Amino acid sequence: MKRLAIVALALFATAACGGGSGSSRTLIQNKGSDTLVSVAQAWAEAYKEVDANVAVAVTGGGSGTGISSMINGTVDIANASRKMKESELEAARGNGVEPIEHVVGFDALAVYLHPDNPIDVMSLSQLAEIYGEGGETETWSQLGVTVPGCDSDEIVRVSRQNNSGTYVYFQEAVLGVERDFKLGSLDMHGSKDVVDLVENTPCAIGYSGLAYATDHVKLVSVMSAEDAPAVAPSVDTAIDGSYPIARPLMMYTAGQPTGAVGTYLEWILGDVGQCIILDKGYAPVTSVSCS
Amino acid sequence: MFEATELNAQHARTEKLYRILFGLMAVLLILPVITILTVLVVRGGPAISFEFLFSEPINGMTEGGIFPALVGTIWLVSVALVASVPIGVAAAIYLSEYAPKNWLTRAINLAIINLAGVPSIVHALFGVGAFVLFFNFGTSILAASLTLAIMTLPVVIVATRESLQAVPQAFREACWSMGATRWQTIRHVVLPNSVSGILTGVILEVSRTAGETAPIMFTGATLFLPFLPETVFDQTMALSLHLFTVSTQVPNVPEEVQYGTALVLIGLVLSMNAVSIGVRTYLRGKKKW
Repeated sequence: MKRLAIVALALFATAACGGGSGSSRTLIQNKGSDTLVSVAQAWAEAYKEVDANVAVAVTGGGSGTGISSMINGTVDIANASRKMKESELEAARGNGVEPIEHVVGFDALAVYLHPDNPIDVMSLSQLAEIYGEGGETETWSQLGVTVPGCDSDEIVRVSRQNNSGTYVYFQEAVLGVERDFKLGSLDMHGSKDVVDLVENTPCAIGYSGLAYATDHVKLVSVMSAEDAPAVAPSVDTAIDGSYPIARPLMMYTAGQPTGAVGTYLEWILGDVGQCIILDKGYAPVTSVSCS
Repeated sequence: MFEATELNAQHARTEKLYRILFGLMAVLLILPVITILTVLVVRGGPAISFEFLFSEPINGMTEGGIFPALVGTIWLVSVALVASVPIGVAAAIYLSEYAPKNWLTRAINLAIINLAGVPSIVHALFGVGAFVLFFNFGTSILAASLTLAIMTLPVVIVATRESLQAVPQAFREACWSMGATRWQTIRHVVLPNSVSGILTGVILEVSRTAGETAPIMFTGATLFLPFLPETVFDQTMALSLHLFTVSTQVPNVPEEVQYGTALVLIGLVLSMNAVSIGVRTYLRGKKKW
């Protein structure tokens, strides 16, 4: 027993002392949006080859989580799939932090249906009636269709948890800033979860980043108004702005980024970084030609 | 001669019925274990290879291995054990051997029970407030492991206290009557006779620590880190969070990778348990009562 305790203490002491002799590596803390997390991870992975002395640690948690960590000063770069709210900006300034926004790409927010669902086109107002508080649409037959495999006819609304930037953006772009979500939706904790659920649920409708599309779900073309043309979500329609629910993806830093963080952001906005985001299914901010 | 009456026969039938019923319930317990293990082995088994265990994840975590997460979990578990076992065992010794029956002891016992009932996500928030921010450890292995240690302290304390109390009182009295002090009695009689029970507590702690995701998510674990942790002040990847990541956060991860990660996590816990169970069985064999 005594020997065990001594070994344990020795181990702990070694570990604790090791903390003092830090290596020369610069660590960049990157946290936030679940939408951006897969591309943030890909950037961090690729950046290892660019500068071996800089390591980027990536954590998810949602846009809100990332932004509040940036305000607290615990992360260097916050990933966000929505703009910072006025209240967050105030909190940041209260902390002596001036957040700088960097648009690193665009994301088409796709509306997903089960492949058996006959609907191909929907308008923003139809979506608002399905998702919005007080909306009339509760069943698929109200939209004039019968969905094979959906015996209850009830629309299963798949949504996101409320610290998700995707949730906030969908609310702004589809429901309108003032309108809340209807209660009783299934709120998922990840972009991928939404698509997984819709894939297996004939009655379901969901929204999530285009990058999470699989071959087993249907992507709805969206009309901005009843008489507007229906536009399919794609990288191209997100870049040219014709797809009505495409949003900028942001990285926030506390003040103008300098040093390693600045170099990292420059690299992200450069050709290599932008080709990575394109490869992940998002739209780049500049036109790049990638192999 | 004795002859079974109708009443006897009825009793015998009821007896049989209950025996079967209870037996069935007991057998039902192993069903989920077998199902989980079978599914994991069948689906995740093909992914397990030397490369899977000992290389970094590449290509957006869809390929490569889980080495950094494996190493990270071992770090987290080890540091948590170093922090919680001495405290837990010492506290249990006090409660079992020294504590008078008064309000303070009752309060301590109540605190332990309550600590065990606190949801892990609340421990996570406590960890952020206490270790990450107040003690300023930052998001690090140290902060995450201390959070895990606090979360699992009740397990260690309760298991240790029970095994100390299982040592017959007569052993202590015999020792005292030889003129030994309380500590001498504990050191030479009580502890050697309860090591197996203490190890059980440690086993349980290891299993819980390795599997927890919530408490480490905000205190020290990252989704991706391009280097292996070198000190307790580094952040780390962890198997449990990696499993969460590849199954819910990152698109297009092959199913084998998801199941493979789960299999390794279970395998790690089971093999740690196996070692402890071996030691325990050996020690129990030496027991003199």
